[in-house]
Amino acid sequence: MDVLTQASALVFQWQVFVAIIAAAGFGLLVGAIPGLTATMATALLVPFAFFMDPVPAVGMMVTCAAMAIFAGDIPGILLRIPGTPASAAYASEGYAMTQQGRAEEALGASLLFSAIGGLFGTFVLIFAAPTLAEIALNFSSAEYFWMALLGLTCAVFIGASSPLKGMISLFIGLFVATIGLNNPAGVPRFTFGSSDLLAGVDFIPAMIGLFAVSVVLSTVAAGAPPWESPQKKTGNVFHAWGGLLRRYWPQQLRGNLLGTVVGALPGAGADIAAWIAYAVSRRFSRTPEKYGTGHVEGIVECTSSNNAAVSSAWIPAFVFGIPGDTITAIVIGVLYVKGLNPGPTLFIFNPETIYAVFLIFILANLVMVPLGWLLIKSATRMIQAPRRILMPLILAFCIVGAYASNNSVYGIVIMLVFGVLGFIMEENDIPIAPCILGIVLGPIVEARFISGMIRGDGSLLYFFERPIAAGLGLFVIAIWLLSLVGWLRRRKRRLAAAGTQDGSEASA
Amino acid sequence: MRFNDLMLGSMLLLFAVVLGAYSFTFPPIPGQRFGAALFPQVIALGLGGCALTLLLQSWRRARANPPAPRTPLISRTEWTLKPGAIAAVFLTIGLVVLYILFSEKIGFLLSISAILIILFRLLHVPWSSTLAATLVGSILLDFVFRSLLLVPLPFGILPRLPW
Repeated sequence: MDVLTQASALVFQWQVFVAIIAAAGFGLLVGAIPGLTATMATALLVPFAFFMDPVPAVGMMVTCAAMAIFAGDIPGILLRIPGTPASAAYASEGYAMTQQGRAEEALGASLLFSAIGGLFGTFVLIFAAPTLAEIALNFSSAEYFWMALLGLTCAVFIGASSPLKGMISLFIGLFVATIGLNNPAGVPRFTFGSSDLLAGVDFIPAMIGLFAVSVVLSTVAAGAPPWESPQKKTGNVFHAWGGLLRRYWPQQLRGNLLGTVVGALPGAGADIAAWIAYAVSRRFSRTPEKYGTGHVEGIVECTSSNNAAVSSAWIPAFVFGIPGDTITAIVIGVLYVKGLNPGPTLFIFNPETIYAVFLIFILANLVMVPLGWLLIKSATRMIQAPRRILMPLILAFCIVGAYASNNSVYGIVIMLVFGVLGFIMEENDIPIAPCILGIVLGPIVEARFISGMIRGDGSLLYFFERPIAAGLGLFVIAIWLLSLVGWLRRRKRRLAAAGTQDGSEASA
Repeated sequence: MRFNDLMLGSMLLLFAVVLGAYSFTFPPIPGQRFGAALFPQVIALGLGGCALTLLLQSWRRARANPPAPRTPLISRTEWTLKPGAIAAVFLTIGLVVLYILFSEKIGFLLSISAILIILFRLLHVPWSSTLAATLVGSILLDFVFRSLLLVPLPFGILPRLPW
């Protein structure tokens, strides 16, 4: 109880409230503008987080991320352009409703079930995280090694449309992570005499480059054209709430559970949760034929799952220091800067801070309803926000933000290099998210592997000696094997199909 | 700018080989089997594997339908066909490079204003909005970052501002 009182004292201050409301507004705005992602919103907040106390800094990013994931639904529904990748799974469904003039029903469902989903994930986080942290206290290098490897595996095998391209992205990220002195041997790697590179690639400008500058470049290239929505006005979004809750509570609950589980996996986040939820919803629906024609059922389940995943992605981040998705990857970087090393000890040495952050989670999902309503009301105007004015301003913001990370133009150089890299990767359909997870998880995998080998006296068996480590290890290896078998099977089927086609052509 | 599998695979393979070879120069940790070289070598192996898979895919495709026209090594994506699009991307990158080179001398306010004006005009924002957005944007950024967050943005040739 004492901890809760201390935590409340940290949260209920006007500075924290101002930070939360400002971050909420910022997250809603960025999420609602197509092409600007929740990760980008979080990355752009990092320069501010530097100069703030830990609780408002983390609270700000948490709030911003939750808002941006909800707001991403709005352009998805009104324009079929998902505001963030997490809304991509059901953008067509929502747009079909807009075309039938039912945008307010879709938007209302999205708002209601996003808030409930976020709260659900938060409660799981609050109850599960401290228990998990107690277990994690006994973890050694072996368990952390497998956890980090699981994160990398999820990022590649579940996250990308083409696992090969996901893997390329991951290896690029892992390579970036090797640059500098920060390795178990303390040897400068790939620094080529540059003293700036000795400390490694600065994470924050790299993020800003990958997520913001690459978007500016592609929008400038397209000439920043405006958008038009088929439905100009939205009616009362609260109107359908009672009926939706009564009718679709099983879908909501299933979406919440699925989102929470997927989010809690290291490396898999809200966008993957939404895709799986859509597939599950359709599979178990009594009216699967209605999916794709503007059916609110799928939207309910997906939006329940993606916001639950946003909250539960913090479980591996706080408990093990292993990011659940790109947003938590960025915040983990900020936690280190703030001296709050994520991991089980956070719950022992700074319990008031972690509970304060949990309180902010609840607040964030509660303020989502009134602020989200305001956003929906002004949405048709908001999504037409002149991108030609926005994009140059975002670039200027990126430049200052990258500079502020260590007060030198070196940050801007890193930002530009990664901006161009991100742009080229997107041009070639190489996803960016695995690269980020590679940058964050690379040093963990390496350090834990080397220290494990030192402790195990050079024997790989060390990684299977303890029961949890052995379980995690077998789980990771099973995912690899299953993916390989699935790929081989698909290939065999494809070859067989090609063979019969050739045969029939020959006989004809 | 899109690379086909042959091009992307070859570039990645070259990178992987250079990476792997260079990491042999890292000294080992005395008395240990693995040191600083291990991780870069694993990455080189992984990237090399990805590159070889891409090359294999491209070779198979070429063998499966030999008369089909080959995709060029580097092809232009849809947006690049729009007049001025490539120039706009290079101009944007160039402006950031110029900022990196000269912002310390010229100062933050003037250089960021120049970038904003050029980009606004590139995107056909009318002059009135250009000037208004540049003025508000640059002064707001300067106020927030220099005055509130105490980031030492360079003054350059301008005198110290009153805020």
